This record gives sequence, structure tokens and C-alpha cells, in this order.
Amino acid sequence: MPAVALPATADWLAALAGEPLPGRRQEDWRFTDLAPLQAVAPQLWAGPDPFAHVVLPAGVTRLDGAEIQALADPILHATGSATAWPVRLNQGASPHGLALRVSGAAGPLQLQLDAGDGPGLLALQLLLVLEEGASFELLVRHASRGANATSLVTLVQLGRGARLNLGVLAAGDARASLLSHLAISQAPASELQLTTAVGGWGLSRLEPRVCQLEGAAQTRLRALQLVDGQELADTHSQVSFGGPEGELDQLHKVVADGAGRSVFNGAVRVPRQAQQTNAAQLSRSLLLSERARVDTKPELEIVADDVKCAHGATVSRLQQNELFYLQSRGIAADQASKLLLRGYCEEVLRELPAAAAACHPLQLLLPERP
Amino acid sequence: MSTATVGDLVSQPYKHGFVTDIETEKIAKGLSEDVVRLISSKKDEPDFLLAFRLRAYRQWLQMEEPNWAALGYPVIDYQNIIYYAAPKQQEKKASLDEVDPKLLETFEKLGIPLSEQKRLSNVAVDAVFDSVSIATTYREKLAEHGVIFCSISEAVKEHPDLIEKYLGTVVPSNDNYFAALNSAVFSDGSFVFIPKGVECPMELSTYFRINSADTGQFERTLIVAEEGASVSYLEGCTAPMFDTNQLHAAVVELVVLDDASIKYSTVQNWYAGDEHGVGGIYNFVTKRGQCRGDRSRISWTQVETGSAITWKYPSCVLQGADSVGEFYSVALTNNRQQADTGTKMIHVGPRTRSTIVSKGISAGHSSNSYRGLVQIGPKAVGAKNYSQCDSMLIGDQAAANTYPYIRSQQPDAAVEHEASTCRISADQLFYLQSRGIGFEEAVSMMVSGFCRDVFNQLPMEFAAEADKLLALKLEGSVG
Amino acid sequence: MIRPDAPLLLEIRDLHARVEDQPILKGVNLTLRAGEIHAVMGRNGSGKSTLSKVLAGHPAYTVTAGSVTYRGADLLELDPEQRARIGLFLGFQYPVEIPGVSNLEFLRVATNARRAERGEEELDTFAFEDLVRERLKVVQMDPAFLERSVNEGFSGGEKKRNEILQMALLEPLVAILDETDSGLDIDALRIVAEGVSQLAGPDNATLLITHYQRLLDLITPDYVHVMAAGRILRTGGKELALELERTGYDWVDQELANLEATSEREPVEVA
Ligand SMILES: Nc1ncnc2c1ncn2[C@@H]1O[C@H](COP(=O)(O)OP(=O)(O)OP(=O)(O)O)[C@@H](O)[C@H]1O
Ligand SMILES: [Mg+2]
Repeated sequence: MPAVALPATADWLAALAGEPLPGRRQEDWRFTDLAPLQAVAPQLWAGPDPFAHVVLPAGVTRLDGAEIQALADPILHATGSATAWPVRLNQGASPHGLALRVSGAAGPLQLQLDAGDGPGLLALQLLLVLEEGASFELLVRHASRGANATSLVTLVQLGRGARLNLGVLAAGDARASLLSHLAISQAPASELQLTTAVGGWGLSRLEPRVCQLEGAAQTRLRALQLVDGQELADTHSQVSFGGPEGELDQLHKVVADGAGRSVFNGAVRVPRQAQQTNAAQLSRSLLLSERARVDTKPELEIVADDVKCAHGATVSRLQQNELFYLQSRGIAADQASKLLLRGYCEEVLRELPAAAAACHPLQLLLPERP
Repeated sequence: MSTATVGDLVSQPYKHGFVTDIETEKIAKGLSEDVVRLISSKKDEPDFLLAFRLRAYRQWLQMEEPNWAALGYPVIDYQNIIYYAAPKQQEKKASLDEVDPKLLETFEKLGIPLSEQKRLSNVAVDAVFDSVSIATTYREKLAEHGVIFCSISEAVKEHPDLIEKYLGTVVPSNDNYFAALNSAVFSDGSFVFIPKGVECPMELSTYFRINSADTGQFERTLIVAEEGASVSYLEGCTAPMFDTNQLHAAVVELVVLDDASIKYSTVQNWYAGDEHGVGGIYNFVTKRGQCRGDRSRISWTQVETGSAITWKYPSCVLQGADSVGEFYSVALTNNRQQADTGTKMIHVGPRTRSTIVSKGISAGHSSNSYRGLVQIGPKAVGAKNYSQCDSMLIGDQAAANTYPYIRSQQPDAAVEHEASTCRISADQLFYLQSRGIGFEEAVSMMVSGFCRDVFNQLPMEFAAEADKLLALKLEGSVG
Repeated sequence: MIRPDAPLLLEIRDLHARVEDQPILKGVNLTLRAGEIHAVMGRNGSGKSTLSKVLAGHPAYTVTAGSVTYRGADLLELDPEQRARIGLFLGFQYPVEIPGVSNLEFLRVATNARRAERGEEELDTFAFEDLVRERLKVVQMDPAFLERSVNEGFSGGEKKRNEILQMALLEPLVAILDETDSGLDIDALRIVAEGVSQLAGPDNATLLITHYQRLLDLITPDYVHVMAAGRILRTGGKELALELERTGYDWVDQELANLEATSEREPVEVA
């Protein structure tokens, strides 16, 4: 990559977003080095529309153009996403779009969003509207084998009593970037399970934002971040409760090896109207190398007295006593570590939608090293 | 039957809100290089200190006031503050008998008797009134053990070498906006030096009193514990009730060498403003300790109940191998108070350990934030941190925020953080009441139960004090 | 011990109460005189604990009709702590845990509040320690429990003993013990029963809520009441408990149906 291309890309990206690239002075980007993104050629990805030939399962139909904007805006508004830089970039980059309506108990769907080895910025937008009582399982797979960037904005609206199992499985390339922003609004009695597993990207930035519009919904977030080499993985999650009796169960796991960097910022907002919220957030990081770094920052903001909010964070290497237990049963130390590491990842991976099993996510993200 | 709810318990009138009527020497409002020079010359300071102040002032001019804390307050006009005020009394008196009786009376009224007959038997006190230290008890007795305990102004004159050696080495003058301001204009504060191998024979304590309405207080405290030395130090603070805000920007530096330890406790009860948020102290404090030596130890314990705004992160830089840092904090906010407090534990050396226990209680329309950083550097092999942050919310108008950063670069280190939020449950209250314990007492029992892990860390004499203070703050109109 | 001329301690008249919008008590009548021991039995959910909590003044329950007179005065207008201070004691079915609050401190403050009400002097820490150690013997409890937080981490049986310890310290005139016997091992049951018998005297009254005859074998009740659907359906002597042991509660349904039929005849006909 020629050094002269760098400023050109930054300017090009800034022009698309209508705003300069976020810098370290912005609290939300303090630890996020955008160098891999700036190393991408300043052009739009030229391959075919990955949404062109999607075959929809029963119960899922395409939304028409007129409806899309009217549905998208309130979601962006509820999660405060409209001003997020990755969203602005996406909107400026004429994204390919897929907008779906789900009614009843729909069949599962899998989307392959592979940037391959083509250069440039692949911009995609996905809108999902789950009608009252609908249920749906969606697996989004990202992949890359070259110096490119994928920008995906996913907007989801869950109607009353709707159930969504959304999985993001993203195995990338050290030269590639992934910017994935998920804005999800939940009506009461809806259930969201969002499982993300990301590894191998030079830069990945996940921004799941969930708003329980009137509370009384269930949100379950599971995330696994793997970094090695010089990779940086960043997750900025945000969950807010617009009414009482909402539930959140969040687990964020990290495996940091090599000279990798992991950033996790988990905001939970419980305003006055959200009494009887029950929120739990746990962040667990495994630091496997002397050169790797982990930055984690939960953010709890609570203005309601009758709530249960707990959060916890641990950063350490593999548990000594677990290792010892396995060793005491005759398993060699490195074998035992491997077993534990796999088990550690599996806790998240097994929660991906069923379709993920076919692509062996563990093998994909944590390839057996020679 | 009473329909009282926990939220109805609002603060008791402030007990320390009186003003002492005493002739005061003040300099004109405003800050400039001349003012910095004037303060230095009033204190007859050596050149190195004037140079230190001027450098800090120039750095301050280049800096921006931080705005990242979860605090909201009107812009402070730094030119509308008096940077030096002292009760008129020429020299610091050699004997207490010569101290203006009004001052002695003031401190007695605050529960800090200074006179020979009444002073506390096992606590040495340095009493600071506005910008100057007016008396320090037990100096001679401490001197017998080689312990130096005096105001920092006196230390500058009597032990300039020690001041020059340590001042600004833990909190550099350009550390942050308020530290720079303090370094430029600091007036008084305490100096403690515990020589090698000495265990300080009594508790040391400084009591800070702001009296003037438009004066800022910028005290500076420096405590040094040489190899194997140890000391327990406590500071207390109060101020009169004014409907304007006073700025308090202190800097505290602790240095501990091999096998030494400092236990630093604070009971902060500056005036908090009224229930509408009018008046009160803006408390912007930089406190940091450096565990320079191996196996050294610093323990911060704070009970923060006062001030309109508290911005304060007592921190430990754990350099020495096997050094230990601790932070125990209770922060209670009520009415319109805002507190943004926490700690930084910077693990540099191998096998360093730290513990953080923070208890935040928010009532009324107040906002109470814990902000902490646990940083494990690449050389901190075997480092360990455990943090626990609990919030108790009283009423549905108060905010409790928790921002615990963790940054780790060392795989062979373990960091563990836990946080929870609770309130006083109706069933617990009923249980206590059904045993004849009154509503207010039941609440205050549960609040102090919530804080017990922290109170246990306070020196005996002050634990009961802190308990009472907290009860007072929550006591009041039920109904 | 029944003495018709003994002073009236507690008189419950046609008591109705609800929780949230759910009516639970539907006309309870009960009279306790000094020296008497009453047992209240009844199926799960019949309202026994509700009655005990209403008497103790739990804020979640609202009295909608009826009256409760304690030694001639209206009990219902008093705060829970006031009721405790004048000698009403409730041993909870599920004592709550209060982390951080020391058990010893709690017991001392409670005891002193009761003493103050009786015009007795406050006990300082030392005097109280002596008293509490003496009373610990009543329940044969390890003094180590005093150092812990109120009920925190106590086993079910330990919590119940802690309740009786409180009763021994507060010396109530009316003690309501809600299933104090459940969760106790055989020895503990005997200890608790002995404790209760020891504390019961000619000047106070005890209301035992229980499911089992085994407690009543150890503490002989003067009256046994059967509660059902929020009222007292039947009252008898100690034989009633033995009869229940044999027959169970099947007869209750029949009797309740009769009751419903009388009270709701009109709406039934309309339907
Ligand atoms: N807070 C509440 N909300 C709704 N219903 C309640 C509440 N408290 C009690 N109840 C109901 O009131 C009824 C009576 O409950 P109570 O606890 O008094 O029964 P009990 O006779 O003590 O039963 P047990 O023998 O199981 O202890 C039950 O049906 C219970 O579910
Ligand atoms: Mg019951």
C-alpha cells in the first residue's frame, strides 16, 4: 500500500461521511486506531450486490422503497444512531440495501457478505421489521481476504412479542476492516438475542445499540472478540430502557493474543421511567500475550431506585485452578489450555443461530495453529 | 400511620455553617503573574518555589478546564476569586495562648479543641483557616521521634531541602488544570515527614476551614514516609454557608519508600449548598500517592458528604515491587449535589496489589458517579486488583453512574471488578421497624451497614464520627 | 391457660385486608386474653401470614374493614415500630437478610427501644452483652451469630432461632409466631418449643401459626383455629388439631361452599 494513498483515503471517507474521521480526542474513539481503514483504496467496492440473489424463506417479504425511510428513521432516532460516524459514512457510500418484513414464525435466513479480495469500501444496509408476534432467525456472515472495508448498518424493529435471534459471524483478514452498526428498537414483550463473534480483522468496530422503547422486553447480548497479530477489535455497545421492567443479560468475551488490542465499552442507561429494570453485564477478557492489550469500560447510568443492575469485569489469563484440574487428570498443559480456550469461546459461539454450526465457527475464528 | 418513604429523608441543616467574624487580610481579586509573585513574597519563599509557582502558572494558562466528568456547573470566573486571605495576625504564634481566641473558639465549635487542656490526647492537629495554618498541636512531642508535622509554609522555611526534593514529584505542576492552578497559588496545607524506621506515635490530622466568602482555598499537602516508616493521617473540612460558590482546589502528594506505609483518611463535609443547589463548595482535588519503595503501602479512605461538586480521584502509582494500594470510599450526595469520584490504581511494578471498595449513596436530585481506572503495565507481572463498586439509590430522582475503566497489558495479572445497585428494600425496613426501631434509625442503620466495609478502615476515633455524619445527612423531615 | 376474667390483650373484629388489589382477609375474628396460647392452622395460602403481617403493620397490606384493639387501644393506627415497642411481636415465616447491619447492634437498638417505652433505662454495650448472652441460652445459640449481619447467610433453622432470641429480648405481651417450627431439626424444634413455653406466662399471650401437631405436642394450645379463605372457619380446643391430623382439610371445601352459598345466594340466582 503506497503511503501517499493514506491522506487521500481519509479525505475521501470524510467526504462520504460529511464529517472528518473520528480521532483520539473523542472519548468513544480514544483507543481505536483507524489506520487499517485509511489503508483501503479510496473507491467503492466494485463487486456484485451481495443482496441481489437472496432467497427469502416463508414469512419474509421485501419492503418497498416508500416504506423504508419511514421505518428506518424512528429506529435511528431511538438509538441515537443518526449521528454516529459509521452510520454517516455508510449513508454517504450509496449502500446496497435489503429491507425485509417478517410476519409469523418465519424460516431461518443466512446472508453471506463477503468482500473477497476486491479493493475499496463495501457499504451495505439491512432493515428488518418483525411484526407483532413474529419470530425469525438470521445469521449474517462477514468475510474478507484482502485490503478492503465492509460497512454494514443493520436497523431492526421488533414489534410487540416479536422474537429475533440475530447472529453475526465475522472472520476477516488482517488487512481488512469491518464497521458494523446495529440499531435495534424493541417493543414490549419482544425478545432479542444478539450473538456476535468477530476475529481476524485488522480493524473491527461493532456498535450494537438496543433501545427498549417502553421497557418490558428482553435483551440478551453475547459477544466474542478475538485479536491476534496487530489486530484491533472494538465493541461499543449501548442498551437503554425507555420504560419499566426491561431485562438485559449481556456477556462480552475477549481473547487477546499476539500484539492484538481489544476495546470494549458497554453502556447501560436506566432512566427514571425504567423502574424494575433488571440488567446484568459481564465482561471477561483473556489476555494471552505480553504484547496484547485489553481496555474495558462498562458504563452504568442509573436514575431509578427500584432496579437491579450488576456488572462485572475480569481480565486475566486462563484460570490456574481450571488448568490444574485438567492437568491433574493427566492432560498436558498446552492441551489443557487449548481445551479451556475452546470451551471459553464455545460459551458464546454455541448461542449463534443454528445455521452457524455448518461453518464450524470455532475453526473459522480460532484455526488450529500448526 | 406514617406514610414516610426513604426518599423523604432529606438533609439536616448544615451544622458548620457559621462565619467567624475576624479581621482578614485579603489581596485583590483576580489571578496574574503579579498575584503569584505576591503570594510567594507574602510567604517569604525561596527562589525555587517562586520558580515552581510561575512555571505552573504559565502551564495553567495553556490548559483547558476538563469537562469530561459527569458534572454540570456554571463557568468559573477565575478573575473573580481571591487567591490569598489570612486572619490578621502577623506571625504564626509560638504558643497557642497568643492565637486570636476567636480562631480557637471557631475550631472548638467545630469539635477540634486546640488548647492544651482540651485537645485530643492521641491526635496531633494542624488547623488551617482560609489560607494559613494557625496552630499545630504536639509538635514538640512528635519532634522527639524525629517526625515533622507542620504547615507547608513553615516547612518551606525550616526544611527547604525536603520540600525541594519532594514537592511536585508525584503530581507534576502540569498534571491537570486544577493541579496547575494549585501549584501556582497554593497557600497553606500540611507537611509530614516520617523518618526511616519510625512509626508515628500518634494520629496526625489537618482540619481545613474556609471562612471568607469569595476566597478560593488551594491547600497543598505533602507526606513523606521514609524506609520502614508509617503514619495515619486524617483531614477534615468544613465551610460556612454562603449563597455563592467557593472554589477549593487542593493537591495532596504522598511518597512512600521501601516497607513504609501511609494511611490517609478524609472526612469531607464542605458546605454542600441548599436544597436548590444554591451555594456550596466546588471541590476539585488532585490526590496521588507514589509507592516508590518495594513492599510500600498507601491506603486512601474517604467519606465524602459535602461540597456542591466533588471532583476527586485519590490515586496510587504502584512502582515498588509488591507494593499495595487501597481505596475505600463512601460518597453520599443529596439535593443537587454532584460527585464524580473514584481512584486510579496504576500498577507498574511486579506483584503489586490493589483493592478498591466504593460505596455511593445518591438521594434527592443528586448525581453520584464512580470513575475509576485500573491500569496494569507491561512489567506488572503477577499484579492483582479487586474492585467493588456498589450504589444505593434513595428516591427515583437521583442518579448513580459507574465508569470503571480497566486497561491491562500483562497476561500474568488478574483484574476483577464487581458492581451492584441496590436500594433499601421495604421488607428490610419493615423487619427493623417490627422490632421497634424507628424509620429514620432503620434507614440510617442500613446505610451505615452498606458503608461498613469502608468505615472499618477509618481510624477508630473517626469511624463513629463518620457514621454520625452520614446519619445527620439523611436525617430530617419525615412525612 | 384459660381464665375468662384475664385481661383482654388483642381483639380482632371482622378484619378485612387486601394486598395490591387482591382481597385476602375476609372477616377475621379472634380474641386473645392474657395467659392464653392459640394455634392457627390452615391450608397454604389461607391467609395466616397475611393476618400476622397486618397485625404487625406491614405497609404492603391495606385494611379495608374491621378493627384490631390492643389492650383497649386501636392498634391499626400505629407505626410498625410503635406496635413492637408496646409489646407486639411477630416472628416471621421468612426473616429477611440485612447485609452490613450487625446482628448485635440491631438487637441492642431494638431492645433499648422497647425498654424506653417501658420506662426502663437504656443498656450500654456491656450491660447489653450480658443480657444477650443470658438470653442466648434460651435458644442455645452460638454467640458467634451476634457478630454476623442480621440473618445474612443464616440457615433456615438459625434464622428461626434468631427470631426467638429477639422475642426473648423484647419480652412481648402478644407474640405471633409464624411457622417458627418449620425448617427446624428435631433438637432445634424442642429448643424453640421450650423457649416459647418458657417465655409464655400468665401476663402474655401467644399465637402460634403452624402446620404440624408435633409443635403442639410440645406447647399445648388452649385454642386451635382453622383458617380458610381469609377467615377463621372453626375454633376448638387442642383436640381440633389432632382431628385435623387425621382428617386433613377436605371438610373445609364443603364448609366454604356452604358459606359462599349463603353470602352469595343472590348473585348466584341472577346468574
Ligand atoms: N403481595 C402479594 N400479592 C399477591 N398475592 C399475595 C401477596 N401476598 C400474599 N398473597 C396471596 O395471599 C394469599 C394468602 O397468603 P399467606 O401468605 O397469608 O398464606 P399462608 O396461610 O400464610 O400460607 P402458608 O401456609 O403457605 O404460609 C395467598 O394466596 C398469596 O398468594
Ligand atoms: Mg404463611
